[in-house]
Amino acid sequence: MSRQAQKLDSAAGDGAVGIGVLSLDLLGQVLHGLWEPRDRKACRLVSRAFERAEAAHRRALRVLRREPLPRLLRAFPALELLDLSACASLDDASLAAAVAGAGGGLAGLRSVCLARANGVGWRGLEALVAACPKLEAVDLSHCVSAGDREVAALAAAAGLRELRLDKCLAVTDMGLAKVVVGCPRLEKLSLKWCREISDIGIDLLAKKCPELRSLNISYLKVGNGSLRSISSLERLEELAMVCCSCIDDEGLELLSKGSDSLQSVDVSRCDHVTSEGLASLIDGRNFLQKLYAADCLHEIGQRFLSKLATLKETLTLLKLDGLEVSDSLLQAIGESCNKLVEIGLSKCSGVTDEGISSLVAQCSDLRTIDLTCCNLITNNALDSIADNCKMLECLRLESCSLINEKGLKRIATCCPNLKEIDLTDCGVDDAALEHLAKCSELRILKLGLCSSISDKGIAFISSKCGKLVELDLYRCNSITDDGLAALVNGCKRIKLLNLCYCNKITDTGLGHLGSLEELTNLELRCLFRITGIGISSVAIGCKSLIELDLKRCYSVDDAGLWALARYALNLRQLTISYCQVTGLGLCHLLSSLRCLQDIKMVHLSWVSIEGFELALRAACGRLKKLKMLCGLKTVLSPELLQMLQACGCRIRWVNKPLVYKD
Amino acid sequence: MEGRMTSLEATMKASSTMASSMVRNADPDQQTLRSNSVEQFYFPRPGQSLPGIPPFFGPPSSSLYLPNDNEAKFGNQFESNPSQNTDWDPQAIVSNLTFLEQKIKQVKDIVQSMNNRENQVAGGSSELAAKQQLITADLTSIIIQLISTAGSLLPSMKNPLLSSNPAVRQLGNTLGSPMGFGMNANQRPSVDSKTDIPDTGKTSDYDELMNNLNTAQDERDELIKCPNPCGGEGSEPTPMEDHDVKESDDGGEGENLPPGSYVVLQLEKEEILAPHTHFCLICGKGFKRDANLRMHMRGHGDEYKTPAALAKPTKDSGADHAPVTRYSCPFVGCKRNKEHKKFQPLKTILCVKNHYKRSHCDKSYTCSRCNTKKFSVIADLKTHEKHCGRDKWLCSCGTTFSRKDKLFGHVALFQGHTPALPMEDVKVSEASEQPHDSEPMNEMARSMVYSFPSSSSDGISNLDMKMADDVRGYFSPLSFDPCFGALDDFTRPGFDISENPFSFLPSGSCSYGQQNGDS
Repeated sequence: MSRQAQKLDSAAGDGAVGIGVLSLDLLGQVLHGLWEPRDRKACRLVSRAFERAEAAHRRALRVLRREPLPRLLRAFPALELLDLSACASLDDASLAAAVAGAGGGLAGLRSVCLARANGVGWRGLEALVAACPKLEAVDLSHCVSAGDREVAALAAAAGLRELRLDKCLAVTDMGLAKVVVGCPRLEKLSLKWCREISDIGIDLLAKKCPELRSLNISYLKVGNGSLRSISSLERLEELAMVCCSCIDDEGLELLSKGSDSLQSVDVSRCDHVTSEGLASLIDGRNFLQKLYAADCLHEIGQRFLSKLATLKETLTLLKLDGLEVSDSLLQAIGESCNKLVEIGLSKCSGVTDEGISSLVAQCSDLRTIDLTCCNLITNNALDSIADNCKMLECLRLESCSLINEKGLKRIATCCPNLKEIDLTDCGVDDAALEHLAKCSELRILKLGLCSSISDKGIAFISSKCGKLVELDLYRCNSITDDGLAALVNGCKRIKLLNLCYCNKITDTGLGHLGSLEELTNLELRCLFRITGIGISSVAIGCKSLIELDLKRCYSVDDAGLWALARYALNLRQLTISYCQVTGLGLCHLLSSLRCLQDIKMVHLSWVSIEGFELALRAACGRLKKLKMLCGLKTVLSPELLQMLQACGCRIRWVNKPLVYKD
Repeated sequence: MEGRMTSLEATMKASSTMASSMVRNADPDQQTLRSNSVEQFYFPRPGQSLPGIPPFFGPPSSSLYLPNDNEAKFGNQFESNPSQNTDWDPQAIVSNLTFLEQKIKQVKDIVQSMNNRENQVAGGSSELAAKQQLITADLTSIIIQLISTAGSLLPSMKNPLLSSNPAVRQLGNTLGSPMGFGMNANQRPSVDSKTDIPDTGKTSDYDELMNNLNTAQDERDELIKCPNPCGGEGSEPTPMEDHDVKESDDGGEGENLPPGSYVVLQLEKEEILAPHTHFCLICGKGFKRDANLRMHMRGHGDEYKTPAALAKPTKDSGADHAPVTRYSCPFVGCKRNKEHKKFQPLKTILCVKNHYKRSHCDKSYTCSRCNTKKFSVIADLKTHEKHCGRDKWLCSCGTTFSRKDKLFGHVALFQGHTPALPMEDVKVSEASEQPHDSEPMNEMARSMVYSFPSSSSDGISNLDMKMADDVRGYFSPLSFDPCFGALDDFTRPGFDISENPFSFLPSGSCSYGQQNGDS
């Protein structure tokens, strides 16, 4: 992508006329091909024509700060998708003002994401909905203070098709009723964690929104009555009801009387659901594709197995986490569902090599196999997986400590599409990584707790796996700065990196990390050798950094915070507990970082109460989560705490002794 | 500089003990000492823990007011109860009720045995008559016992303390007024006897029963006190009527009395509205005291002058002529007024009172919960208050429901109807939350302009830091109001680690340093 941008750059450089003569539409088409925001930015910066084209053609926008919002909305009149979920200190007034300032610019807006925008209330939403007549999708999830008023404001968007209300804790049946009456064309709705909603609300939902295709009622206190109502939905394809403990087999039987449209059912952690209920559900559902039954079944009845066989042609996903399985059961599943693409056997006891081989022998389409904590399996199981599942993309083997490099060699050789592998706590070594390096498609590699992995292994990975995005090296404490040097050499696309407790790493290593421009999440917990200098190079180099964990980096001092304050402009989450920072650094940090929303600062022994007080006042309005020592609760001024809470900030007070460990 | 310093001092005043800690903190040579000394700052100190709370953080006055108000009201209603109830003796009432219970059981047994006998032998005999007599006697004694029990409650209701309180006075009325009912119950049977003309046999039977009852009453002196046999039976009209139906199941209960078959009494409106509890059975005049009624009765004839005559007021005035009494509303034009073409008489004095108050009087009792519903009869208010606030489920069409599922059923049924969110709640929540929320918070935020010194003139350089920043870079973020986005224009000038390494220092070590320097 960046090569493309460079080409465009050079074209612009050769003769600005060249680009200037192209029509905005054409340039828009060009921009449309650029996915990376960085590349778009490059284009925008080199040519006014591109800038104009982007202004006219830009469809999606993610705003990180409140202040430029009005200007951005004016600049991009063709927006269809607006993401305000990371917009710090967004509140009613600013949202309403921005929307009003945009004039008719929001007429085309179809989707708005306000997840975790705690400060936004019904006034802001009302203004937004009024300005966006074409609004189709709204995400309000995790706005824990959102209640009926807020949801009622959304009800004015008559064309709404998608709505996520996850964890809008104050929403009751009344709010839901407002929405379902106001938005009869709703197709996707998530009510996860809206604990106040009852059967009555769900019943009205089923009556008023006949076009519903996807519904999530996880964690609700609803009972079988809701399933009776839901069964009247003719087009329902997906239904998630995780942890609905009031739902039992009777409810599933009611559900089975509904239409045949259901394709995906999630009954994970529904304590009162048994395989009998699932059997009766399947009975009416010959088109079921996905069945999530994690941590809810205790045993599998014969009836369920026989019904499962009727789904032979359609079932692609089966999750049975936490079930006690036997070889014969796995064999039966394999024979019944040979179109399976994904199987979840996480924490299933009794999973053996024989069971796995009889399962995979039938299911050659498997792409995702979750064997987390199936600690009986050995290389033999990996061999049979490798032999049968050539399409394998994801393999989770956490805590399968009997496997070693031989099994992984087979996997790496036979499954070239492998994108994700979890080897946490498997005790693998450099040799295993040497084999895994053959998987050039690898995106996610988790090697936590494999303490025998050294720089050599990292070098193997780095040499081949250039597409790696996530690397977990938690407690791989043989890794040194040289390993990091090797890593950044090959894996330049890494976004998530966990180096917690790799305590041989020093500032030099962090200096290498500075070349990871796309790094967003970096965890450096307990690296007591690193200092402000190392943090500076990370802050300067990793411009995309969003989350940084420096807990127990005892040598990190104010210098690190200064660098972060200056360069880590996108930083949203920060942990500096136990660091050697002072009130000065903290004040500067909190007043400078305008995207910072979540900070954990426990046991900052060098920061005085004034330091905390001033720092928090400087950041008030932006912070959404805060973790501090509970002794501060009484010494910080009550106005400050109330102001923080009023701005939608949740404070976690912890009470634990100061213990230095390494 | 001086001014800035004083304002800074003001901000720091709350915890002045800490004033020098930052300076100490900034000194790297005291690291170990510092971490020890700062450690203790995490724990509240008695002097520091509670700085003065600004008044607007106290509980909002509105929310404070409400409970107090309620309390006061409740207090008013109930505070006089202890004194009021001094003269009724629970023990006596319990023993009375126990006696009644036993008596009723006895009578029930006899009636049941009679019933069985009747089934076996169709014809009535003298034995039957004797038993009937026994029953009437027993019933009478039950009634008397009941009245005297209930009567013991009445004086307490007339406590002069309470007469100032209209609610309780009214309550007293309601409790007292069944006297009127009792009279009605006493007279109803004879009404029936008149109306059910074909069933003459039964009528005579009934008359006989009534006579027996009256004879039995003769023997009871207590009856003089309370001439209305069914007196304390109940205070609500409906159960009373049900009771009547049961008692007089030999006669039809229809109120289609042919005009002229009854006497119409019309009370003056002063009479109706007066808080009387004793009514003259002949003219309907009400009295506050039974003694006054008795004095009044003498005026109706010599026969009322002896206690014995008083005991049977209806006997002489005639089982044959007058007893059916109906009442007319004094309001001309009212359907219940006797002048009206389709006049429908009122059955009892209580009916008259309630009708007159409901239809022709101001509704002076307002529900204290909703403050909208008004009533003229206190009993109606009480009934309403039982349900008031339950109808909180409101539809956009204005219909209210006492249950959420009913509302949702309604919403499901009608296109376009939607539940209305309770506005009161919103107001309340706004009233209680906003003070913390926007307004005062904003005010506070405005007032919290950081009083950091904005220059770096002093040369305190006891911080040993390798990082540097220019003055503007350091100070501007702190000297603006963070809640109001002043950071917008905050530009970031070039930043060079090696350049002017100490220029940022004064800022935070800030005032303390300056203080030192200035002094």
